[in-house]
Amino acid sequence: MEKVVVHPERCVGCMQCMVACAVAHSQSKTLAAVYESPRPRSRVHVGAGPASEGFPNRCRHCDPAPCMAACLPGAIYRISAMETVLIDPDRCINCASCAMACPFGVLRFHEDLNAPPGKVIAVKCDNCVERQSRGEIPACVEVCKVGALTFEDPESAMKRKTGEVAKSVWAAAGSQPIGVSASADLLRAAKRAQMELTRR
Amino acid sequence: MIGTSKRFESQTITKDGQLVLAKAERDQIETAWDRLKAQQPQCGYCEMGLSCTNCNMGPCRIDPFGEGPQKGVCGADADIIVARNLCRGIAAGAASHSDHGRDLVEVLAKVAEGKAGGYSIKSPEKLRRVAAEYGIDVNGKSDAVIAGELADAMQEDYGTRKSCVTLASRAPEKRREVWKKLGITPRGIDRETSEMMHRTHMGVDNNWLSLLLQGMRNALADGWGGSMIATEVSDILFGIPQPVKTWVNLGVLKEDHVNIIVHGHNPVVSETIVAACQAPDLIKLAEEKGAKGINLSGVCCTGGELTMRHGIPMAGNHLMTELALVTGAVEAMIVDYQCIMPSIGPIGGCYHTKMISTSDKAKFPGMEHREFHPENAHQMAYDLVKDAVENFSNRDPERVYIPVEKQETYSGFSVEAVLGALGGSAEPLIDAIKAGKIRGAVGIVGCNNPKVLHDHGNSGLTRRLIAKDILVVDTGCVGVSNAKAGLKVPEAAELAGPGLKEICQALGIPPVLHFGSCVDNVRILVLVSALANALGCDISDLPVAGSAPEWYSEKALTIGTYFVASGVSVHLGPMPAVAGSMNVVKLLTEGLNDAAGATFSVEPDPEKAAKLISSHIENKRKALGLDYRDIS
Amino acid sequence: MTRHVIIGNGIAGLNAAEAIRALDADSPITMIARETFPPYSRPMISLVLQGAVGPEKLPIRDDGFYSEFRIDPIIGEEVTGIDVEERQVVTDKGTTVPFDRLLIASGADPRPVKADGVDLGNIFFMRTESHVKGMLEALPGVKHALVLGGGLVGFKAAYGLMHRGITVTMLIRSGHPLSLQLDPTSGKLVLDELLAKGLDVRVEIEAISFEGNGSVQQAHLSDGSNLECELVVIGKGVLPAHSFVSASGIQVDLGIVVDETLQTSVPGIYAAGDVAQAFDVTRRESWINAIWPVAVEQGHIAGMNMAGRRVIYSGSMGRNVIRVFDLDVLAGGMVNPPEGDTYEVLERNSPRLKVHRRLVLRENIPVGVAMVGGIEQGGVLLSAIRSERPLAVDPEKLLDPTFNYRQLALW
Repeated sequence: MEKVVVHPERCVGCMQCMVACAVAHSQSKTLAAVYESPRPRSRVHVGAGPASEGFPNRCRHCDPAPCMAACLPGAIYRISAMETVLIDPDRCINCASCAMACPFGVLRFHEDLNAPPGKVIAVKCDNCVERQSRGEIPACVEVCKVGALTFEDPESAMKRKTGEVAKSVWAAAGSQPIGVSASADLLRAAKRAQMELTRR
Repeated sequence: MIGTSKRFESQTITKDGQLVLAKAERDQIETAWDRLKAQQPQCGYCEMGLSCTNCNMGPCRIDPFGEGPQKGVCGADADIIVARNLCRGIAAGAASHSDHGRDLVEVLAKVAEGKAGGYSIKSPEKLRRVAAEYGIDVNGKSDAVIAGELADAMQEDYGTRKSCVTLASRAPEKRREVWKKLGITPRGIDRETSEMMHRTHMGVDNNWLSLLLQGMRNALADGWGGSMIATEVSDILFGIPQPVKTWVNLGVLKEDHVNIIVHGHNPVVSETIVAACQAPDLIKLAEEKGAKGINLSGVCCTGGELTMRHGIPMAGNHLMTELALVTGAVEAMIVDYQCIMPSIGPIGGCYHTKMISTSDKAKFPGMEHREFHPENAHQMAYDLVKDAVENFSNRDPERVYIPVEKQETYSGFSVEAVLGALGGSAEPLIDAIKAGKIRGAVGIVGCNNPKVLHDHGNSGLTRRLIAKDILVVDTGCVGVSNAKAGLKVPEAAELAGPGLKEICQALGIPPVLHFGSCVDNVRILVLVSALANALGCDISDLPVAGSAPEWYSEKALTIGTYFVASGVSVHLGPMPAVAGSMNVVKLLTEGLNDAAGATFSVEPDPEKAAKLISSHIENKRKALGLDYRDIS
Repeated sequence: MTRHVIIGNGIAGLNAAEAIRALDADSPITMIARETFPPYSRPMISLVLQGAVGPEKLPIRDDGFYSEFRIDPIIGEEVTGIDVEERQVVTDKGTTVPFDRLLIASGADPRPVKADGVDLGNIFFMRTESHVKGMLEALPGVKHALVLGGGLVGFKAAYGLMHRGITVTMLIRSGHPLSLQLDPTSGKLVLDELLAKGLDVRVEIEAISFEGNGSVQQAHLSDGSNLECELVVIGKGVLPAHSFVSASGIQVDLGIVVDETLQTSVPGIYAAGDVAQAFDVTRRESWINAIWPVAVEQGHIAGMNMAGRRVIYSGSMGRNVIRVFDLDVLAGGMVNPPEGDTYEVLERNSPRLKVHRRLVLRENIPVGVAMVGGIEQGGVLLSAIRSERPLAVDPEKLLDPTFNYRQLALW
């Protein structure tokens, strides 16, 4: 089954996934969504890693899900068809017990298109179930141009990765294996060197 | 609070900075460091120079990992996009300096017409010298007439009617040959910027190499054109700097005085403030308000201009501009343009500080706009200082915090002053270099950048270079970093290597010489040209280098580029947005050596950078047949 | 075929029953419950008081729960004894229920206060759905309410009553609210917020006696003053409900002592939830953490062990999250460590962002956290505590308002 797979080493921190996510969860489904009320917000959160590199943080849809076990009103549930953990906006009481339980820090609390008007609820990634039911792939994956977010069978992603590692080990000198970027490595090295200095 | 000091120590090495950052946190003031944090992660496409917003078929970006898009809608690849972006940055930097120069030429023209209020020619000697370089017959003419003709001639340099900007003639013959060969002789100040913008329009220059060559020509038009005019005309109007003792850091603010800070770049406004602060009736008014006097200080380069010519103390550099306001001790901050963070208006608003913008080209949120023109400038300045004095009664003593004692420092080392100190010629300096007592010279220039531990890059590198017997000259924000670190007093010779120490002690000078503001980087060009001419070699043969350890500004890109195009290799602390094209990276770091005899290098760590630079200098010494050391 | 009996239909009992059924489709399960209301979300009762939800929203399992899981419910009966020898429990109605495996998940009862007149009408605990029902019935005659205790229950009661337009005075014996959960600095921030929002909070004070004609009308306080009040809510914490265990020989300390499989000193008898005293990972000793998520995890693990799958419980950890008016507060582990060099305390107050964070470390292992504002990353910090591993990174990073999961790694 295809799922969103995150390849954090590829993330360049452009935050396009955040824009796309917010738009996908808006009324208009266009950039005009910034004028909507409530203003749609992203469910994927690009934070900074230790060297200020991008890190796309999204719900892992854990099984069992700690947030689901912690939810006081029983508002968090799982739909097995898409292996997705969802929050029922009507049941949610905005108690933040899920945020206390989530080891990845993916929950946010705000008004939402799907919630009763004026009600603040817990919001997180829904795997774009609405888009998927229309045969579309999740919005964050669709806009990611560096392959940091892919929609594929995790097993085959694993196989591909193993292949890439093997290739990079056996690659003939001078040839550049796919998925490796001298540019990104150079930038990362420079930023890391800069960070090291403030860590003294 | 526990852990607090450690956190501020990871932001700035300066004591005043650390202490006032703590106050800023208590006062709930947001600083550039806070905003940088909020911006993390910054966009990797943009950091690598791989995004393009030049046209509306875009915006486009290139996947550095090779799987996603490799070309923009127009078909531009990573090399073209990176080169275009870099060149547009250079053009912006050149435009900034050169437009600053233009404002000075306009004052010079107004002085000639007798319409410039309180402005006058402070250095007729330099007026005549520079006019002669422009081929103006100065014999028997009044200062006003010469000023008029010079202003005209300089304005010509801005246009398109020349084959080469006039002051490029100061460059050694060999260097001008290199430019000719590469086709990068700068023809007109505005012309090169204009052409750069033209070439980076979609569908014009799509050869990354020729784009970069135009970038170099654009930078040269600034270095040997706009910036050089800015410095020379400033000297003519306000005097040639001479060595002067002054003070630096937030300790220059006085608890019992009316404190006024000037911020920005152009001395045209700040010079009038200097005059107004000396008006006896305003000083008397200050006393009536309970202050002991009026205390003027500067931040950023307009401060540097005043320090160079009047010994006006400097309160801080770029990253200290917000913190200076957080002292709560500033009655007015008067800004002109460039490097003025739009954050400071609202910060001033959190205290009693009057925030005043003065230039028709630079307006800011939370500031009162009072437009200065040459005709009214002195009256405007008088009124403004008066308002600042009256604002003293609004100061809340409870919120005032001046964290440290001021640090002594020396400034005012114009090329004329340096040659004067050497007895009229560069010969003694050349002898010291030949004898190996001074291994070489490095111009450390540029900015602060919250990505870099504040002042650590600047003064850290300086400290290490002087210890290796390398003479350092500094400008811009680096000038303040080094002054605060105590590296610009004669006693700092003790921190220098034995050879440099001996020379400094003999001449009674510090091992680090303040050359002025960021347009004053051209003083370095003039000095290295003089050295090369004296040795009969090209600039690129000299044991010299440039460095911008904490650069942030587009102007710094331009300076770095005109240094390299002039034959001075340049070290950068932070990485410019070029990593997206390995072709561009290789050209800048290696390829340019063959073409221009100089390259760029990037090294954030001052320790490693010092090694890199010192090794470069020793290699140049070796090539000149001088004694050299193995640096490894 | 194993006969499973569960005392209590709270969240620990429910999770145990579901865990047993997941592993064993056939064995009978009997559940004995004192409360007649269907299994419900106890932490939500204050929302009913507040009027944010109706009582119909409280149940967390639908009507078909017992039949779906093939559970035999005995509702409205209270267990009065356990016969360890005969392997059976007895209820107040005389029902005898034999068992092979027993789970004691009887929860906790509110801690009573010693004061004259505490038996007057309109003096309530706030523990059960029926308590809240009683309060709601009393509300129409109430202008001023008194809340005893500045803990979580006191808070929720005060918050709920204020939403009903009632003036509330809160009496706190210690110097700041949430003294069990928060450090003094965080507690002070909460106190300021409460005062700013119009709650009359008085610290270092208690109620000595109550007066009234049938129902309460006035309270006498320890500072000698008197206070008019038509409603009193007692929120002074809870005590584990295990009085029926005393004669059984099952080892009891403060709560019923359990091992790493949540088994009591008597083989085949387990305990979970507010009544159980298990190993606490940050205190490194046996401790009761009477909170909802601990009851969930303990019930689940006890159930699996009862069904024959040996699962080790790594231990409990105290943690709470509460939204106080406009302030979010999250705390867990050891927030107030004992004096001495063993513990390192880091704090960061960012007033501009309205964020305060406190981190307690033992030999570079995070053991406690308190957050006021910016609580979204609280789960990450708690899971770092739970991991019981030394930090790879500068602990200062964890205090930063921009901290995220990825920053736990060195590079």
